Amino acid sequence: MKRHSVSLLFAISLLLGACSERARDPEPAAVATPTVVDTGGSAKGDFGPPQGEPINAVLTSPPNVPPATGRKAPAKVIVTLEVIEKELPIAEGTTYTFWTFGGTVPGSFIRVRQGDTVEFHLNNHPDSKMPHNIDLHGVTGPGGGAASSFTAPGHSSQFTFKALNQGLFVYHCATAPVGMHVANGMYGLILVEPPEGMPPVDKEFYVMQGDFYTVGKFREKGLQAFDMQKAIDENATYVLFNGSENALTGDNAIKASVGDSVRLYVGNGGPNLVSSFHLIGEIFDKVWYEGGTRYQENVQTTLVPAGGAMIADFRLEVPGSYVLVDHSIFRAFNKGALGILKVDGPENKDIYSGKEVDSAYLGDKAGSMAAVAEAAQSKAAGTLTPEQQSKAGQALYAGTCSVCHQDNGAGLAGVFPPLAKSDYLTARSNQELIAVVLNGLTGPVKVNGQDYNSVMPPMSQLTDDEIANILTYVHTSWGNTGAAVSKEEVTAVRASTTRAEGAAH
Amino acid sequence: MRTPLIAMLAMAPALGFAAEGAWVTLPGEPEFATVLAYEDSQSRVAIAPFELMTRPVTNADFLGFVTRHPDWRRGSAAPVFVSGEYLAHWSGPLSLGAAALPEQPATQISWFAASAYCEALGARLPTWSEWEYAAAADATRADARQDPAWRETILAWYSKPSGEALALAGSGAADVHGIRDLHGLVWEWVDDYAAMLVSADNRDQGDADLLKFCGAGALSTNDRENYAVLMRIAMLSALEAVDSTRNLGFRCARGLSRAKDPS
Amino acid sequence: MKSFIVSVCLLAFFAHTPIFASEALPADSIYQLQASFQDQQDRSFQLAERRGRPQLVAMFYTSCKYVCPLIIDSVKGVEHGLTAAEREGLDFLLVSIDPARDDVAALASVAKKRKLDAHWTLARTDERAVRKLAALLGVRYRALEDGEFNHTSTLYLLDAQGRKLTSSSKLGTVPDPEFVAKVRAALN
Repeated sequence: MKRHSVSLLFAISLLLGACSERARDPEPAAVATPTVVDTGGSAKGDFGPPQGEPINAVLTSPPNVPPATGRKAPAKVIVTLEVIEKELPIAEGTTYTFWTFGGTVPGSFIRVRQGDTVEFHLNNHPDSKMPHNIDLHGVTGPGGGAASSFTAPGHSSQFTFKALNQGLFVYHCATAPVGMHVANGMYGLILVEPPEGMPPVDKEFYVMQGDFYTVGKFREKGLQAFDMQKAIDENATYVLFNGSENALTGDNAIKASVGDSVRLYVGNGGPNLVSSFHLIGEIFDKVWYEGGTRYQENVQTTLVPAGGAMIADFRLEVPGSYVLVDHSIFRAFNKGALGILKVDGPENKDIYSGKEVDSAYLGDKAGSMAAVAEAAQSKAAGTLTPEQQSKAGQALYAGTCSVCHQDNGAGLAGVFPPLAKSDYLTARSNQELIAVVLNGLTGPVKVNGQDYNSVMPPMSQLTDDEIANILTYVHTSWGNTGAAVSKEEVTAVRASTTRAEGAAH
Repeated sequence: MRTPLIAMLAMAPALGFAAEGAWVTLPGEPEFATVLAYEDSQSRVAIAPFELMTRPVTNADFLGFVTRHPDWRRGSAAPVFVSGEYLAHWSGPLSLGAAALPEQPATQISWFAASAYCEALGARLPTWSEWEYAAAADATRADARQDPAWRETILAWYSKPSGEALALAGSGAADVHGIRDLHGLVWEWVDDYAAMLVSADNRDQGDADLLKFCGAGALSTNDRENYAVLMRIAMLSALEAVDSTRNLGFRCARGLSRAKDPS
Repeated sequence: MKSFIVSVCLLAFFAHTPIFASEALPADSIYQLQASFQDQQDRSFQLAERRGRPQLVAMFYTSCKYVCPLIIDSVKGVEHGLTAAEREGLDFLLVSIDPARDDVAALASVAKKRKLDAHWTLARTDERAVRKLAALLGVRYRALEDGEFNHTSTLYLLDAQGRKLTSSSKLGTVPDPEFVAKVRAALN
């Protein structure tokens, strides 16, 4: 209460200052600088026994958020969460056995109010292999509930806690080995609303970052197993929002309209990596950093600790596609930490005159990967044709090779050699060209009579079939004549040449 | 007229015994390095030679047992000894049905029922140490635990979703002792599952809540990288004797151990 | 007819688990466990013989230094919280988890030292039955290298038919009031 009236006075004093004709005082005279009043933490968080009938909490799957509780008094809230171990896609053509709360990664979003008494039921599905428990960072008590919720498959546990502190908190499984349970997707968010509720906004979304460790490489097809050594080495294969490379892209993009006020509840399950969370094209008007009570204003990129969270508010003025990224930027483009917020509505040239950000940033992400998926299927069935390879290669070429060599293969005169009708290409075998793509090329070269002396970085993060498809596309485009390149040829070259220091496998 | 009937009835148990799987003798080890870090044991346990079944007990084996022992049939067994899920996947108390193939490992069996089965054979459940010692083996070595490849193979089982049907008992590759399916098929009961004095929150390793476990802290582990064993410990410590799960079976052991045979 | 009886007897003979008369004993009673116990006066008994009165049950061993003396204190604490009439209707059963070393003499010695009256039974049984009883109650224990044991220490309240009513892990001479309330409810 006190905090409200203080901020109200402060706001009024600013308004008075602004409306005045005379030059404004740098400091409002009406009210002294408000003393920062703290919420009192857990000591002041107990609002007494629950009132009224017990309420069954509304839980939502990501990216949705339950509606505001709207409560004014503490209540008894019953939360029932089920643990299910299930195989889900982690990337196009790649699946992983996730261990989930509520069937999704991240798990269901729980929303209660400070002072609520939460009766928590954890059910472990009978098909589960493992026992599981839950540690909610919003619980005051041993293990955050983990000590009281250890549940064997086919069993259910119950414990009760009072939410003494407001904030946005992570919850996760804490069964040994804890890192493995978290790495398999066992985390989510619980929002403990401040007593007066969160300020209303038009749209709220639930995003949670996580790092994943698989035995196979990034985007290697098929069911992938967890790789404990990579997890210990903190060498992530995937860094993803909401458990899948396509969770927030394409048809799954989150949507809003010009004029909307939007709030993102953003968590980071880890297990290892800290997130540098950024929304390309927008500035966060408010960031409740670390999911706490105070907010910072006008923030571009904010840190979300592993096992932590934050809340960001912003308003949309211009339509287009806005890209959620971890600004440790290789994670966005090479490990999948990328999502889309699609905003519709009228243009506002005063604010932004240019085109949509799509192609420059997204490259092969927004474009249809259907051709790549089809090629993967045909490869597995043994029916892959050069046409399919070329189509897939085209989708992969865009955004990776096209950045330097251009969409039409023309390159940049004097800087990047052309690929169209290139004598360099026709003079070389498949093996030599594969080696260039895998290991890069530096030093002077002559292509079509012109000298070039630039650096082509190694592209060994591309998989064998991706390189085969891209080279097939290059060989069959822009008037080039050349044979299709097979995955087996790439595998052989990769095995027989060494990679530079720091390059991917 | 009645004599053959009596003769058949008298032979029935013998016929039933013949259906059990084979046994192998394991040599044991005087100072086996266990992953369990109890204060008293210096992480070494003495394992005397003992016999172990080469594969888990199957549905067919267990059907024979309940045929001979009506007290252990589903519906007749006392609820203090079995839970509501006991043999729930069988089509009837004395029939297996499509969801319980005869050669699949028997699951949904409580510790009491598993103990009774083994006792009926003059055997017992293996102890945790015996299980850990046997499970350290791979195809060529008695102790393969330092080999990352061994660990990866075991971890891969946990990556497989659990909805698939169980493989047949004994279908896994034999290890150096000739034993199959200690990994990769089902969890298995041990006699002293209750000796896993694990805190429900495994992050409390070494936090000595002395009164709770009378003189000991909760269990700590030495080899944090041996996830196969860690997860087995987590699983056993989550269970009570009356529980059963779809992924938990058992096999029997015979011979001297630190827990003595039935007297 | 005679052959029929003979064949039934043969079946019963070959069945390794004796078919006990369980009609009167409830299916969820711990007394379903069939095992022979000896008390501190060398009398043998089956658990089912303790039907008729509620029991406070715990597991201990006589050479235990840390908690087991507290267990006896805790049970006595509950005892003192009862009226004389209530005390008449309640028995105490402590079962040793160390039957190898806790012979009848050891049990008798403890009973004498702590001045335990006729309501107290200190008992031992074979190791397999100890494990099963512990499993039924929910007691976890482990033998140490030096012969000591680590074990959970909880008092269990059974009703007159041997069914678990409640338990308390709070040890000490001042018992958990909620637990005492439940004990009194069982007696009245």
